[in-house]
Amino acid sequence: MADTAGTGTMKNGGGLIRTGRRNRIKRFTVGDGVILALLTIFGLSILWPFYNAILVSFVPNTVYLRYQGVMLIPPKITLDSYIFTFKSSLIWTGYKNSILVTFFGTVYNMFLTVLCSYAMIKPFPGRKLAKFFIVFTIYFTGGLIPYYLLIKSLNIMDTIAVMILPTGLNIMFMLIISDYFLSLPPSLEESAKIDGAGDFTVLLRIILPLSLPLLATFTLYYAVDRWNEWYNAMLFVKSVHNWPLQNVLRTIINDVQFMATQNIPGAQRPDIQGDAIKMSSIIVSMVPMMCLYPFLQRYFLSGLTLGAVKE
Amino acid sequence: MATATQARTIGAKRSGKGSGAGLSRRIFKFRWIYLMLLPPLAYFFIFRYMPLYGIQLAFKDYVLKGIAASPWNDFAHFKYMFLEPGFVPAFRNTLIISFLRILIGFPFPIILAILINEVRMRRFKRVLQTVYTFPHFLSWVLLSGIMLNLLGSNGMVRKAVGLFSSGAFDNWNLLYDGGAFRWLLVFSDMWKEAGWGTIIYLASIAGIDQALYESADIDGASRLQKIAYLTLPGIASMIAIQFVLRVGAIMEGGFDQVFNLYSAPVFAQGDIIDTYIYRLSFVRASGVNLGFPTAVGLFKNIINFVLLLAANAFARALGQKSVL
Repeated sequence: MADTAGTGTMKNGGGLIRTGRRNRIKRFTVGDGVILALLTIFGLSILWPFYNAILVSFVPNTVYLRYQGVMLIPPKITLDSYIFTFKSSLIWTGYKNSILVTFFGTVYNMFLTVLCSYAMIKPFPGRKLAKFFIVFTIYFTGGLIPYYLLIKSLNIMDTIAVMILPTGLNIMFMLIISDYFLSLPPSLEESAKIDGAGDFTVLLRIILPLSLPLLATFTLYYAVDRWNEWYNAMLFVKSVHNWPLQNVLRTIINDVQFMATQNIPGAQRPDIQGDAIKMSSIIVSMVPMMCLYPFLQRYFLSGLTLGAVKE
Repeated sequence: MATATQARTIGAKRSGKGSGAGLSRRIFKFRWIYLMLLPPLAYFFIFRYMPLYGIQLAFKDYVLKGIAASPWNDFAHFKYMFLEPGFVPAFRNTLIISFLRILIGFPFPIILAILINEVRMRRFKRVLQTVYTFPHFLSWVLLSGIMLNLLGSNGMVRKAVGLFSSGAFDNWNLLYDGGAFRWLLVFSDMWKEAGWGTIIYLASIAGIDQALYESADIDGASRLQKIAYLTLPGIASMIAIQFVLRVGAIMEGGFDQVFNLYSAPVFAQGDIIDTYIYRLSFVRASGVNLGFPTAVGLFKNIINFVLLLAANAFARALGQKSVL
């Protein structure tokens, strides 16, 4: 413990180091054991459903029916359900649409958020009114039907755009970023202005480079939100080839037969079971998250703290 | 934030206060800022303000010719609302489910944060946080599939229950059991969001002066004493603020979760206002008058509006700057 003390980046690292040094004699108590046990149990309760889903996706029907998911190590493994899943054109169009929505959606979100965050720290005439105009939308919304009729009248039903445009900027994120911009030393901006830089130049050349870690965090949050988009698609996108992955998944979960009607010759092999196909589809759509999350974890966990600590 | 902005704003005001020429000069000075603000404001106008126009449908009988052409109907939807068989249960369910979520789901991240804070192995602590936070970033679409796998007709939970009670529970399915469904909502949401909820409390705990803990150690305080007299008071204001904001959102029953988990057998216990409005609008086959779901939505939004204003005022009184 003591050797890692100097390099710590954990939030209360300072405290840990000191108590660590002072209490090196302090033994591992029963209390420590109980706490570790409780926390580990909760951690396993989070991991288990995912592990079980992976198991179910890999075992053949006969094994599944015998154990019904109560197993630690699969006695027999098959890739049949994954082959079945990858044969579905819907999984592929779903992936394509989700990637499109995530990419363009996140760019659109960050574009609006950064512009708004930067503009809101400037003392322009009408700033208060603009802020009221924005924040009011948190408090009062039109509701489902007025929203539906608006989208209908905008003529963007059944397009990729309907999954991107209506989700513009998250006001909480915008205010946190705004706060951060304001905390940057104003002298940098002033000297740039003296050199003749305009507002756009200042934003692009000075403010953004200084805020990259924070912006990375919020880009990530937006990207996760866009990847998880299903609501607008459910309401407005009727053609299945325009569906994002989440909606394909929803249909598979609710009705595995649906897959069979989409370009797939029925259940040829009797040993594939519906639950395995559901789980393999879930795993396939979770792969990007499972791969990125451990590596970007630092960014994933930092955003809220930035908002909270500043009070 | 407020102080710095005010300082700058006041500075600017002092220099340009007074004549109309000064104001137009200031507007000109900020011309690029206005340009920057244009896209976000256009977004808010189109997607957040234009729907407000449609609210008038709550007071009209919708006809296909459009919102403007629909005739006013003398509050008929509101008079009918409490007679509609689905409305009162949906309203009640929303409140009950929210209440249970607050009762059980609200304290849990606080306890979890305190326990995590007691862990001295830093690497293990980070692993725990990583695991706990993971489900927050997954959609309810995906998680409902994961839960179906555990709880569904072939699921592990049923098998496990079957082992202990031969026969009696053969047709039992947690997802279709009205009595259990609300608890399922509460605990699965807790399972998904608790880790995320701890972050704000852990940050708050990290802000407590470590010298207090050291002197408590010297005085021989036990772990429980330190939690009760140092940690909890240290995060009390954060807890209060979070609580107020949570109560302000009581009308939000969690559409994504309920919609992806519920089914006809549990409508009586699981239907919340948002899912009720959805089914009124899109599922009922017979020619639906779109005015009625608009009226239900407006009813919900007005209650929500009042609650949010009150919550915000309370939170500000507790020292939270007005984020919401």
